[in-house]
Amino acid sequence: MTATQAQSATGSVAVSTSPLGAVARWVTLADHVRIGMSLALGAALWLAIAAVVGVVLGVERFDVGASVVNADAHIQLFSVHQFALVFGVAAPLMLGIALWSVPSQLHASNISLPRLAAFGWWAWLAGSITVLVSYLGNGGPGGGSERYVETYLLGLGLVMLGLVALAISLATTVLTRRNGLPLSAISLGAFSAVVGALGMVLTLPVAIGTIIYLWVDYTNARVAFGGAGLIDSWLGWTMREPQTLLYVAPALGVLGDAAVRTAKSRQPLRGVMLTAMGIAATVILSSVTQQAHVFTVGTSPSETLASFVPYALFNAVPLLSPVVVILLSLLALKAGTPSLSGAFVAAFLGVGMIFTGLVGSAAMHLDVLDLVGTVFGEAALVYVVYGAVLASIGAVALHAGAVTGKALPDLPVTLLALLGVAATVLASLPHYIAGLLDQPRAAAVGYDDSGIVGIANIATSLGHALMLLVLIAFIGLFVSSRRSAAIADRYRVEASA
Amino acid sequence: MTAPALTAGPARRTSTVLVASALVAAGAAALMGGMLAMWLQFRANAPTRVASDGVSLIKDWLKKDVAIPEVASNTMMFTFVIACVMAQWAVYSARRGDKSHTTLALAVTLFTGLAILNAQVALWMQIDIVLRNDAYETMFYTVTGTMFAIVASAMVYSLVAMFRVLAGRTGDHDVLTGHALYWYAVSGMFAAMWFVVYVQK
Repeated sequence: MTATQAQSATGSVAVSTSPLGAVARWVTLADHVRIGMSLALGAALWLAIAAVVGVVLGVERFDVGASVVNADAHIQLFSVHQFALVFGVAAPLMLGIALWSVPSQLHASNISLPRLAAFGWWAWLAGSITVLVSYLGNGGPGGGSERYVETYLLGLGLVMLGLVALAISLATTVLTRRNGLPLSAISLGAFSAVVGALGMVLTLPVAIGTIIYLWVDYTNARVAFGGAGLIDSWLGWTMREPQTLLYVAPALGVLGDAAVRTAKSRQPLRGVMLTAMGIAATVILSSVTQQAHVFTVGTSPSETLASFVPYALFNAVPLLSPVVVILLSLLALKAGTPSLSGAFVAAFLGVGMIFTGLVGSAAMHLDVLDLVGTVFGEAALVYVVYGAVLASIGAVALHAGAVTGKALPDLPVTLLALLGVAATVLASLPHYIAGLLDQPRAAAVGYDDSGIVGIANIATSLGHALMLLVLIAFIGLFVSSRRSAAIADRYRVEASA
Repeated sequence: MTAPALTAGPARRTSTVLVASALVAAGAAALMGGMLAMWLQFRANAPTRVASDGVSLIKDWLKKDVAIPEVASNTMMFTFVIACVMAQWAVYSARRGDKSHTTLALAVTLFTGLAILNAQVALWMQIDIVLRNDAYETMFYTVTGTMFAIVASAMVYSLVAMFRVLAGRTGDHDVLTGHALYWYAVSGMFAAMWFVVYVQK
């Protein structure tokens, strides 16, 4: 019992309603709804930061001659955008939504190891704030302040430690609280969550090990790892495709579950669906090589094959995961009697965006296209992360009834999903085009900004701004639905019928 | 008249502590595995130069005059075997309801861990290298320091398990099994590090 609670003679627990008590309860939170919502809220704040930085970057790159920010800060600005998208938004948002909804999917009262999950949330929060402060103090990759570069490494390590703790809690929940069901019989959302969580447990510690090396080297000899300028070359694999697929893997399950509920039928090829989600786990191998695998046509068939096999393993195979899930979701709709829901629309479009990002990443690693080092990769990442945001909207719409007792109305969710996909395409597609026209990544100079490239850069700014609006509107919708007296939970009504 | 059939009991739930211990062990193994992989990569890519005799090649990795204190490192390796045996003894004793032997086994595991840390500190004091000179030294202290922290985490697990037994929770076998599993995993990690860092150098 916490200090804010007092047990009466009859055994009922009186909870302090004082502001201090409320703060104490929040600090010592250990239930899945609060932890999950805290993570989602933290990720929403980082999404706002990512969107604002995205707007600034678009404006900065619109005109090569003009300069909105100091030229020395360019690398850090691109770096903070990447960090915000991956470790600020994608990973914590997906984990948060999974922690929030998985117990209800398993008919469990809470997550396993709730205090470990609470530690993970606080570690992520403290680490992400530390990273933000280090960027503001001229730290981060390429940073000029020694103290703040060290702070950045500390913060990044803390963020990853927190995510690993959250992933352990999530994976343990699914593995131990299944009420006797085999893994093949649990909900698709819970299955995909455990795939993503196990992937994070096995890959992020590798990155933590690299961070320890970097920190020791940076604070001492600086002979092995090359100082602040090379941090991104050692840790960049954690923030690009295919590794990002592990962070957003729960989105696949959201689509699978949403399709089944929308179709009011079973998934005809459930085994294939589970296999497709499991394929995402092949990405774990990315932590082994930690480098981009570019396909080059060699001078002999054996040379071409030697280049193609790693390319296919790291870029083409992960594509199977979202594409099979999308196709089987459509098959479920065909097999049932669907009535379109906001959850399905958001999840379908979200996974579609994730797939588009992964296709872009695979294309980028074709040597013949010469896209490595261009903004093409940045666009692929935005596709994946904003796709995860859309899928999260779908997840909240799908599970709000079961978790909070109040479902979200379908029409506004559908409209927000459509607006969100427009924002995603606007924030990403123009950079696919600019990448094909050789606009370099992580630089605001060295390209021709006239014509299509200039328009593309300003279009991405509009896309990020639109995503910010979608975020605000969705939070408003969620809060208003919690306050409304009785919005029918149609899934529950259907279940009881 | 036949007796009515009994209904099936609830399905046995998989132990949370055991699964969590396995996941933490897997994460720690990934951490150490990644660090050792980088060690091997750096060693393979270490620059070579021609020696003063003009014929042989010298690899700029471990300096010729630096000797790894093999007594300390080998002692640590063998001490891990004792730690594993003691951790398993704790599981065996707990299953027999033998509280005193369970406590003793956990205490010995804890002190075995302390002996390992002591040997590691002795090794650091005996080896004649400092942190500020080259890549080998940076990586040596980093990887052995991380292993030090992992062993310390296993000791914390032993301490917690021991206090639970002392407090009367002797029937909680899953914690002791998870504890033994973690010590096995840590021993495996150390064996890999011992071979790469202390034997192959």
